Amino acid sequence: MPVPTTDPDITVRAAQLRKAYTVTEKEPGFLGSLRAFVRPNTRTVEAVKGVSFELRGGEMVGFLGPNGAGKTTTLKMLSGLLHPTSGAATVQGHTPQKRGTAFLKQITLVMGQKQQLIWDLPAQDSFLVNQAIYEIPDAEYRATMREFDEVLDLSGILSKQVRKLSLGERMKCELAAALLHRPKVLFLDEPTIGLDVNMQERIREFVREYNARFNATVMLTSHYMADVTALCQRILVIDGGELVFDGDLSALTSGPDARKTVRLQLSRPETAARLSTFGELIRLDGLDVELAVPRGEVSARAAAMLTHLDVADLTVVDPPIEQVIGQLFRSDKKPEPVKALA
Amino acid sequence: MRFWKLLRIYLSASLSVQLAYRANFLAAILSSFANLATGLLGVLLFYSRPEIKELGGWNLEGALMVVGFFTLTEGLISVWLRPNLTQLSEGIRTGTLDFLLLKPVDAQFQLSARNLNLLRLPDMLLGLGLIVWAGAALGTVTLSGALLSAVLYLSAIAMVYAIWFMLNTTAFWLVNVQNITELFQGVFSAGRYPLQALPLWIRPVLTFVIPVAFITTIPAQALRGELGTAALFSPLVALILLAICRVLWLRALGSYTSASS
Repeated sequence: MPVPTTDPDITVRAAQLRKAYTVTEKEPGFLGSLRAFVRPNTRTVEAVKGVSFELRGGEMVGFLGPNGAGKTTTLKMLSGLLHPTSGAATVQGHTPQKRGTAFLKQITLVMGQKQQLIWDLPAQDSFLVNQAIYEIPDAEYRATMREFDEVLDLSGILSKQVRKLSLGERMKCELAAALLHRPKVLFLDEPTIGLDVNMQERIREFVREYNARFNATVMLTSHYMADVTALCQRILVIDGGELVFDGDLSALTSGPDARKTVRLQLSRPETAARLSTFGELIRLDGLDVELAVPRGEVSARAAAMLTHLDVADLTVVDPPIEQVIGQLFRSDKKPEPVKALA
Repeated sequence: MRFWKLLRIYLSASLSVQLAYRANFLAAILSSFANLATGLLGVLLFYSRPEIKELGGWNLEGALMVVGFFTLTEGLISVWLRPNLTQLSEGIRTGTLDFLLLKPVDAQFQLSARNLNLLRLPDMLLGLGLIVWAGAALGTVTLSGALLSAVLYLSAIAMVYAIWFMLNTTAFWLVNVQNITELFQGVFSAGRYPLQALPLWIRPVLTFVIPVAFITTIPAQALRGELGTAALFSPLVALILLAICRVLWLRALGSYTSASS
């Protein structure tokens, strides 16, 4: 049943969304197992502790947080898989947990680590099942496949058995299968995990085009900073089940605080003190070194390292998301505090 | 109708998967005959002694008819229920049930209809053949008896489905439930003998606790023309079981925790 929203432009709304699980704990070893079998020791774990936010139609939002922070649980509540313990979610005017047909036809959830394609059959057989399930007319199906093929380059892989596809090829098929019905709201949970850089770029491009073409709302979690910086202006950060940041991403990646990580492979051990003169020392493990340097000074600092240190190999990468988030909390000027929602 | 279209697509997908593993086919046919032989052997042993003409009021042809219904039902379980419903526990354990729940088609329907193990089809054909043969040998089958028997057997299928589905639904709380369905299979194997041929104390259990009697003995009795319309109690039991099954399923979905990705 549609729920009236104050702003018709809001497509996704989470209000004090909370999810608690009961988990069974057991001590290690056989005796522990036996004890747990006779009298299970249960405990309640709060995975999401009252999260509130709103997404506008057509918005692409990065959803970040360390492992176990509650990202996936939140996405699963928004897509109707999990019933919230308390609080409410509204997506396109529907209550997700009722799993109504009209709701399910407008959303999709892509999970980088799970697959829906039938393992022993070519991907296009799975597509046909989805075509029937979503009642997609033949003409529309063909048009959609043509568009997807242009960006994802699916030719040649659709007729191969899924188990014979590479990880990247399979992910392209998974995405196509998940978007065949042209959903208006996309929940993407680690869609690029384990893929090489080219394939990540291809997937990003596809999501960007899809968003532009259908004005779809996208909520994306990723371990790769590049995914988020390439696609999203706004980020939500969740930590320990609580929303700790909701605001503009650019402050993080291009502001005065923005940094890059320089990875060094040394030929000769160096002291931590000496290395620290080139940037903030993040990791020193024998000959492997990681230094954080201000984004604007990357070239100069890297040149200095090459001149003064015995460097076997040098690479410049985006800092891992956890580090960026950590930095966000260390810096005094948080870009924007979490907006309290009514 | 969308459900029919989906059934057709599911069927062709199952067929394609099974055709990919052709070598299995011969083994499956052999095992069907072995199953039937086991069922027949038990019954034939009883009646091989010349002084025994009847067991609990069942002559040899009648008892073979019960074996026929039993074999048919076992075949149906292997062809339809086992390949589908055992996926539930697997889907819960690994979290792949997510995709089924994300689709805008009733999840219970999808779960119950996606796979067919056509390799076990010979079981069903053998069972059906035995029923027809025993019926002909009896010579007392009437049209109304046959119709009643068909109604009762359809109810029996609904009961078997509901019981299997409920047992597998407990996976939402217990996760690994393979042994629970084995328990049902163990009790159900008593269904290859007519109820009246079994010890008195076990009969109420097989009638009211786990309705095995409704599945094999009662349709056979109807086919022999021994039952009146009072047997229509059976469809009622089936409907009640289906309703409980549905309620349990909907409650189970509320406690789904979706294994982490």
